[in-house]
Amino acid sequence: MEILKVEGLSKIFGSGRLEVRALEDINLSVSAGDLVALLGPSGSGKTTMLLCASLILDPTAGKIVFVGQTIFQKNGWSGGVDIRRIRREKMGFIFQAHNLIPFLTARQNVLFPLSLVGAKGEPADSRVMELLEYMEIADRADYPPALLSGGEQQRVAIARALANNPRLILADEPTASLDTVRGKKVMEMLKKIAKENQSAVIVVTHDVRMIEGFDYVYHLKDGHLNHQIS
Amino acid sequence: MDLAVYDLKLHKGRFIATIIGVGLLFTIVLAMNGLYRGNIYEGLAVIKAINPDLWVVERFRGGPFNEQSTMPEYYHYSVKAVPGVEQASPFIYYTVERQLGEESRHFSIVGYDVFGGLGGPQQIIEGRGIQRAHYEMVAHPKLGLRLGDKLPLGLHTYTVVGLTKEAVDSNGDPLVYLSLPDAQEVLYQKDNEEVRTQRQRLTLSLTRQSSLTPQNAEKLLPGLQPDTHFINAVLVRLKPGANRSEVARHIQDWLYFSVYTTPEETQMMLKGRLAGMTKQLLLFRILLMMVSVVIMALVIYTFTMEKIRSIAVMKLIGAPNTVIVRLVMEQSMLLTVSAFIFALIIINNTYHLFPKTILLVPMDETVTFIVVFFGGILASILGLIQALKTQPALALGGQ
Repeated sequence: MEILKVEGLSKIFGSGRLEVRALEDINLSVSAGDLVALLGPSGSGKTTMLLCASLILDPTAGKIVFVGQTIFQKNGWSGGVDIRRIRREKMGFIFQAHNLIPFLTARQNVLFPLSLVGAKGEPADSRVMELLEYMEIADRADYPPALLSGGEQQRVAIARALANNPRLILADEPTASLDTVRGKKVMEMLKKIAKENQSAVIVVTHDVRMIEGFDYVYHLKDGHLNHQIS
Repeated sequence: MDLAVYDLKLHKGRFIATIIGVGLLFTIVLAMNGLYRGNIYEGLAVIKAINPDLWVVERFRGGPFNEQSTMPEYYHYSVKAVPGVEQASPFIYYTVERQLGEESRHFSIVGYDVFGGLGGPQQIIEGRGIQRAHYEMVAHPKLGLRLGDKLPLGLHTYTVVGLTKEAVDSNGDPLVYLSLPDAQEVLYQKDNEEVRTQRQRLTLSLTRQSSLTPQNAEKLLPGLQPDTHFINAVLVRLKPGANRSEVARHIQDWLYFSVYTTPEETQMMLKGRLAGMTKQLLLFRILLMMVSVVIMALVIYTFTMEKIRSIAVMKLIGAPNTVIVRLVMEQSMLLTVSAFIFALIIINNTYHLFPKTILLVPMDETVTFIVVFFGGILASILGLIQALKTQPALALGGQ
């Protein structure tokens, strides 16, 4: 099943002499269970690609179809699309800097996206503990992020991204702040999630050592998606 | 999920410190309210405590409190003779500064007819009222005197026979009640050197007259001594059913005095002597309120800006704006309400320590709460605008 389909996607920042073409005519299709890597040097448009795919940034042109629903097309937004709702119910995000909410414990950080979709009480608590156990971080459930190591924080961030069983997981440099061993472990977890949950996973990275076993690897350079390895 | 409470729990120390800081600011606002009310209360306390039907004072004068008024003591007999007047009592009131033990104290003296006249203390909290024509006094406990204490005033020493908290003067200084002749003596009594000098001056002046021998001049001296039988006002109680305005008009037209009712006396004080300070305090109240709201806005704005990245993360995860609004507003409300409760506790336990009367009125407290509450909401709007403007991309290090 096709989870994300991007057609002719462009993103231009600024105008006139200050115009920067961050993305140009990007075409991409990701299906359930796919593990996709976006490689590219700094400033190549990787993060912009993620932001546009999740409509955090408005693309300049193109069409985005998410789980069969057109959520963007070049003439503007598709009518009636509540993108925040789509993000909280069907997308999961993992960031380079973990970005856990500092005033919530690990448990509360994972509970937060669940609470946004109305989950509460015992079922929500069980789901949180299940995820923390899956990420092997349950023993730190009541710690605030400041008391967790970088690797632990990243595992909590992954647990949070998985909370609502997202159809699409977008990970921006998830291993950048981790050592090689921990980085590989995180990548293994993402592979596991993609296969077990049948979620589509797009990982932005510039570290080729981390993409072993990925289904698709795209190279992004100067805004062009010009290479594909499967 | 109550994000505001979780955030405050983690930053307990800072939250408490902020509550104390903002709370102390609110305490000053409440104290200023109390000072404003206290200023009016003190300014009108004597008028309200005495509360006669009419105040008769020197013509064209706004006395006896707002402006000086002087009239011969015996005029009260003329007032007593006016139809409709049941009682007319001489009254004297003035401020003095005297040495009391180690320190110099400011207080006001009320002189009244102690044998059934108007103007004396109505509620004695300890001891009794003045029962003798001389050398007894009733004082406000604020003066620091106790029953039986003796206070030298002028040539004589007066014994405290009673204490009353009924009123203070318009400066908030204590009142001392004396019999009318005692009060007149304290006010007009000159020291011996001045008496001697005056007599010599008068004798010299008389003996310059060719028709008087020094012996005759000496004989005339007592009759030419200055009169001390002056009062500041006559207090009037009307007969039942008497028409207040008719009696007042009669006194004004036939006796050539100015006559005021107690509400008119009150208005004179409010528009006269108390007006400047009252306006000043009102201005301070408004300024302090504004300062409080501005500081609240800054505190809440800072609280919000510290969470701006977390807010971006929330938005990126898909949190609706209501979650963000609730987070900011709830913190703002918690801060405002907690700081106000702190201020209420502080002011209600310390108001008696202020040198001037701090009169706490529930209405003022309610109005202040409403102002700071809505001020808090207004203040949080600044932080809220920033929070709602935050782009989720900020969470990824983007724009």
